[in-house]
Amino acid sequence: MKAPILQMKNIHKRFSSTIALDGVDLDAFPGEICGLIGENGSGKSTISSIAAGMQKADEGEMFFRGEPWSPVSMIDALEKGIGMIVQESGTISGISVAENLFLAEVKKFRKGPVVDREEMNRQADLALDAIGASDIRGNMPMSALDFQARKLVEIAKVVMKDPDVLVVDETSTALSHEGRNILYDVMRRFREEDKAVLFISHDLDEIMDVCDTLTVLRDGNLIRTFSKEEFNPDAIRMSMIGRELKGDYYRSDFIPSSLDEIALKGEDLSIPGELDGVDLTLRKGEIVGIGGLSHCGMHTLGKVLFGAIRPESGRVVTGDGSEIRDEGSSMKHNIGYVAKDRDTESLNLTASIRDNIAIAGLDRYAVSGFLLTAGNEKKYVDKQIADLSIKCSDRDQAVQQLSGGNKQKVVFGKWIGRGSDILILDCPTRGVDIGVKRDMYRLMSDMKKQGKAILIISEELPELIGMSDRLIIMKDGRITKEFTRSESLSDADVINYMI
Amino acid sequence: MDSKTALLKKYKRRQRLVTVLPFVALAVLFAVLCLTVQAKGYRLPMYLKILLNEGVVLAIVATGATFIYTLGSFDISLGASTLFSATVGVMVYNATGNFGLMLLAIFGVAIGCSLLSSVLASVFHIPVFVTTVAMMSVLSAVAAQIITANGGALGGISIPAEVVRPFDVMWFKILVLTVFFAVCMFLFDYTKLGRRQKFLGGNPVCAKLTGIDLNKYAILAFIMAGIGVGIGAFLTLVYTPSVTTGTAGSIGMNILVAIVFGGMPISGGPRSKIYAAVVGGFSYIILNNILKILIDSNAGYGISQIVSAVFFLAVVYVTGMNYRSQLLPR
Repeated sequence: MKAPILQMKNIHKRFSSTIALDGVDLDAFPGEICGLIGENGSGKSTISSIAAGMQKADEGEMFFRGEPWSPVSMIDALEKGIGMIVQESGTISGISVAENLFLAEVKKFRKGPVVDREEMNRQADLALDAIGASDIRGNMPMSALDFQARKLVEIAKVVMKDPDVLVVDETSTALSHEGRNILYDVMRRFREEDKAVLFISHDLDEIMDVCDTLTVLRDGNLIRTFSKEEFNPDAIRMSMIGRELKGDYYRSDFIPSSLDEIALKGEDLSIPGELDGVDLTLRKGEIVGIGGLSHCGMHTLGKVLFGAIRPESGRVVTGDGSEIRDEGSSMKHNIGYVAKDRDTESLNLTASIRDNIAIAGLDRYAVSGFLLTAGNEKKYVDKQIADLSIKCSDRDQAVQQLSGGNKQKVVFGKWIGRGSDILILDCPTRGVDIGVKRDMYRLMSDMKKQGKAILIISEELPELIGMSDRLIIMKDGRITKEFTRSESLSDADVINYMI
Repeated sequence: MDSKTALLKKYKRRQRLVTVLPFVALAVLFAVLCLTVQAKGYRLPMYLKILLNEGVVLAIVATGATFIYTLGSFDISLGASTLFSATVGVMVYNATGNFGLMLLAIFGVAIGCSLLSSVLASVFHIPVFVTTVAMMSVLSAVAAQIITANGGALGGISIPAEVVRPFDVMWFKILVLTVFFAVCMFLFDYTKLGRRQKFLGGNPVCAKLTGIDLNKYAILAFIMAGIGVGIGAFLTLVYTPSVTTGTAGSIGMNILVAIVFGGMPISGGPRSKIYAAVVGGFSYIILNNILKILIDSNAGYGISQIVSAVFFLAVVYVTGMNYRSQLLPR
């Protein structure tokens, strides 16, 4: 057996009252893609971020190629051989793609007192070409890129440094089919070059497909490492959550159903370059899924339906004919919106759980429409915390201290608490573990039974197929196909209409 | 007690400490002032009167400004607005002899100036800071022009002292501060206005996607600040019924320092506190007076400024202590 490139021994880490890692040993071997899996808050991101220099361990030892390893920062770690692609956005929007790629190395391009931007852009283009992201160019402003493209820039930034260990932290959920293929190619290249990859994902199918070994973490402890031949979904799930979790989490019925009444309608919605005459009807008691590649326009469509983006032509109307003009009118008509970019668009990270849940429901519990009393607010917030089983120390805990899954539950609580009749969910299970996913799917099914209308926009085909009454596929801003719920519907039937 | 509970208790203790620290600082500074005045053999009641007169104006204008700071914005023109409002008030009284019209003019101009800044910012999408810098220059210049044209830069312009004398009593000033603070606290902590402003200050993108109208709440914040400026301008005239080009000159920067002294994060957002303006306003005025007594020379002015700056940095560090420790990768 080859010696590990990275060895982590007895790693301990605490955050305030939370024990994030409790004596974890982890090795990364050459020529191996090692999957790290576990529920939200299990310690996956913490252990990998310690290896990549983002933070220090409280106790424990690390060795990189046999030498003691203690990077002072992520840049230091990357320079010395361990690079990490982080879970949330790791780019800066006010500058160009090339400036993001060479953020700490601008002086490399100095020619006297000026920076040779042409050369910097050329080098950036080479780095992007090397991972197969040739549609992104170095001179593009970062703010012009969508979430997926920004992630690809982050991948290029790490890969161009040619590290020996690549850490990929829940990056694939931000990527569409094509983006994932780029990432998988990069990971496989690392394996072929006898380097190591630590791959964190909540997608069991993906991790079983891509990884050579699989390490399960739970509550800050290493539970078990599976070799490829030991991969078994039920056994892995059981290791992850500590109890048996069998079968599907999706809807068990295969009969499409809805009420006759229209909940929301988009008529001939167009935005040049993004949407091209999209017509869409969502009925009460119906779950409609929208799928497609990242640039197909589905994320824009979600924002247009919520009133956050005004279409150039066309309109959005509710069942009673009222037009949705902005976010305020959406909320008046009981429409809720869960954004894909959770930390930026759906949550106020500096605020507490209480602030985040209460903000959307002020008009629901205010006395005489304006007076906010602590008693009413606590009751309102505590109900969401209890109903959604949000794991927290108390309602005043800062949202940024929560794991991804619990953050997402707070976002759901925000909209469900105010009794939203229509929910637009953009990638609702991005970065959440299977336990939370199951809870969310159950919630959606319950809401459907209550006659509520749900629109799921997702890059996860099994999720769309498993939950939707109707599945709409988009390509180049247009609807290319509509499927009706059926037991025989598979990924293969759908993919042809996406590409 | 397990280690988890102990750590949670420790964290909450630190949170409580950060919350009470500005109050403790105010009490300590007040005690130091009393001791210093007595040690130097000065009259304490005289200093308390100075302190209240200066502190009330700063606390009122800062309380109104808290609504702007909560949004993460910054208004440097509040001193110039106070000067301009008082100047127009004096001119109106001298032209009409009507006290009611003078009050109306002061509040109209104060709120109008604030509204203009916010409307310029929201309609033309100019950063608030830029519009307020421009407003500061324009208002100071116009006020200076009026003052020099009507009474000379040094002497300034004035109204008869007897017009405002009935209001130059401590109970009235404290009552005005109490009422204004109570109204602001109610709006800030117990209504949708304050709650939405705090949320907006924390994350404007998320606030927009939660149906909060950015422009509407920015304009409302500036209206509140304008009311504070109006009251401040009136009380300035009550204290000294004349206006010179130097009147209220430093208020704009003093507000920033005062609000931070009071324990409010400089970036605004959900951890903003309305009481920070009053606690910080008085702390700052007391600190200045202590330094004036202790360092009684021209050279001492620079030292006072340095001490204030060090104090300011220390307060920013302590108030941000809990926040920094919460930035965890999970």
